[in-house]
Amino acid sequence: MNSAAIPALVEDCYGDDRWMCMHKRFLIEAKEREPEVVLIGDFTVAMLSHTEVWEKYFVSMHCLNFGISEDKTQNVLWRIENGEVEFMNPKVIILSVGANNYENTAKEVVEGIHACLTAIRSYHPKAQIVVLKLFPCGQHLNPVREKINQINNLLEAQVKSLSNIQVVNLDPGFVQTDGTINHHDLYDYQHLTRTAYMQAFRPLSDLIQQLIREITLAVVETPTLPDE
Amino acid sequence: MNSAVIPTLVEDYYGDDKWMCMHKRFLMEAEEREPEVVLIGDFTIAMLAHTEVWEKYFVSMHCLNFGISEDKTQNVLWRIENGEIETMNPKIIVLSVGANNYENTAQEVVEGVRACVTAIRSYHNSAEIVVLKLFPCGQYPNPVREKINQINSLLEAELKASPNIQVVNLDPGFVQTDGTINHHDLYDYKHLTRRAYMQAFSPLSDLIQQLIRELTLPQAETPTLPDE
Ligand SMILES: [Ca+2]
Repeated sequence: MNSAAIPALVEDCYGDDRWMCMHKRFLIEAKEREPEVVLIGDFTVAMLSHTEVWEKYFVSMHCLNFGISEDKTQNVLWRIENGEVEFMNPKVIILSVGANNYENTAKEVVEGIHACLTAIRSYHPKAQIVVLKLFPCGQHLNPVREKINQINNLLEAQVKSLSNIQVVNLDPGFVQTDGTINHHDLYDYQHLTRTAYMQAFRPLSDLIQQLIREITLAVVETPTLPDE
Repeated sequence: MNSAVIPTLVEDYYGDDKWMCMHKRFLMEAEEREPEVVLIGDFTIAMLAHTEVWEKYFVSMHCLNFGISEDKTQNVLWRIENGEIETMNPKIIVLSVGANNYENTAQEVVEGVRACVTAIRSYHNSAEIVVLKLFPCGQYPNPVREKINQINSLLEAELKASPNIQVVNLDPGFVQTDGTINHHDLYDYKHLTRRAYMQAFSPLSDLIQQLIRELTLPQAETPTLPDE
């Protein structure tokens, strides 16, 4: 039994009901707004909305941010299957999840991500889905970082060939030549600083704009260029 | 046995050694730099370093930030007792911790905060210590928020009378009249947005500057104005 691929809500261990309140807020935003782009996932997505790169490049693209920092694949899967992306018609969906699945093997994590993709695809057969590779972690070389590399390789091998799905590596090279990660990039050796976000996510905003252009063009051009 | 007052390092559960690497970096910063102000604690301190209010008002005051997001009182206590503030001579030490001690009672948390204060005091006899009250949490009224209120009342009652210690409430009123907290202030109903940081922590920078002025003035003036 792979826990990473079984949809699971986050229990309200402490009594502040934060997780469910966030989920309900996302449901409202999903219904009220008409996003072209939805980002869903864990801290990588959640913290992005508190950065300059978000304000400067993502907000104007009608992006919704459905990130919850501590979520694992099974939690994002639960949110996907419980309405967060159902009542909208986005052109592009960005998924970044798996970094919190410490208890799962690399293969299990990738199955969890795969389950998220399948769920997204069931609601949006034609949307472009962009899966982000996980960022490295730890100041020095360590087993978690190695597992992340395995996860990224498996994503590349298993997910990339699916239609309308891209696997994207946004890491500009946070691991330095001596194998260390600088806290100016990942301040606690896991989470990106705002400058690191600008460096890593600027290319994603370019990719999204390109995808939106291509999707829009395809719609316009198909009737006039049926042979292509 | 109150776990909140027993100095405890954070075990490296996952193998990425993040916590110990951060602690060692803080030790180096403590020895290399000569801070006037040190802030130590949990996410409230850690996330402050990634905000405009930090860049605008705190950096220029020679502040060091020793925040680790997930730390409980017992972890900050361990860091204090293991060299993070020992090798320096700061004028002001700001402490914000306790919000992650979910498993402890309000009384236990306050004992944990007090243990941190006592440990700080053992190294720095005459430094001014500023203890921050905890911020509210949860979208709606909830048991955790009530415990936070109890902790804050106890901090006020038990610490405020101590010499050279201030207990400060930086909450500008994040709980609205209907009892809810807006995600534009606390984005996940626990962590402050950058805008909320500006609102809440500008007054702290004013207080710190005032304290530094007061600590500097008596030395200069005592010889010329002995009667005052
Ligand atoms: Ca966290």
